Amino acid sequence: MQFSYEVKDSYAEVKSVGRLNMVAAPKLREVVNEVVAGGSSRVVVNLAETDFMDSSGLGALIGCLKATRQAGGDLRISGVQPQVKMVLELTNMDRVLTAYPSAEEAFGDD
Amino acid sequence: MTEVIARKGYHGPSNEAAIEAIHNELDALWDDASFVPDMDRMTFATAVIEAAANIVQHALPVAEKPVEIDVDISVRPTRLVARVSAFNAREPFANDMQASMPDEDAESGRGLALIEALVTTVTFERQDGTNTWILTRDT
Repeated sequence: MQFSYEVKDSYAEVKSVGRLNMVAAPKLREVVNEVVAGGSSRVVVNLAETDFMDSSGLGALIGCLKATRQAGGDLRISGVQPQVKMVLELTNMDRVLTAYPSAEEAFGDD
Repeated sequence: MTEVIARKGYHGPSNEAAIEAIHNELDALWDDASFVPDMDRMTFATAVIEAAANIVQHALPVAEKPVEIDVDISVRPTRLVARVSAFNAREPFANDMQASMPDEDAESGRGLALIEALVTTVTFERQDGTNTWILTRDT
């Protein structure tokens, strides 16, 4: 599992590559906390190359969503693959974590 | 006995490395049983990893010997079966067995409810210091 991020004009994009499971979940939290601490509270987590997420990965995304909102921003997700979509739907979290086709579109409306 | 078409397993210390190893065993299982539809692979693999992660995160040793995890996954003609066991483990607490979805801002506690939503049957057995989850999914 690898995470990288890039701060853009109006948001920061965190790229998640690999399996977002209990091993990777704490690393995602670290990366997003670092991005928020650096002054970017509008964060897109790009999941286009994440083919697996479990409930620990989902928990990390929810924690990161709270961290961005506490800093006055928001967290959105993009490029959701079938397994991740399934986990979001079965846990009813697709209503809370809004999925966008691409990172560019995630904050495109505001 | 129902015919077993493909089978994989893992046994080792209950730790993060076990989770990655079980992912790899699942991938290898689908290589040996390429007829299993994508939807069944996805749901079953998610349930197996949830059960294994539950053991790694929550299982406590019954005595000095550390907890070991054991996974036996098999493909049968119309069913996928996994036995996910914690050896040398205490009996889980009743509140660890919570199977309903928590509030939407909760950051944990969805694993068991997710497992129940993913598979056809979930059975729990405890025998001689071993906790075993038996997950089946009809294909």
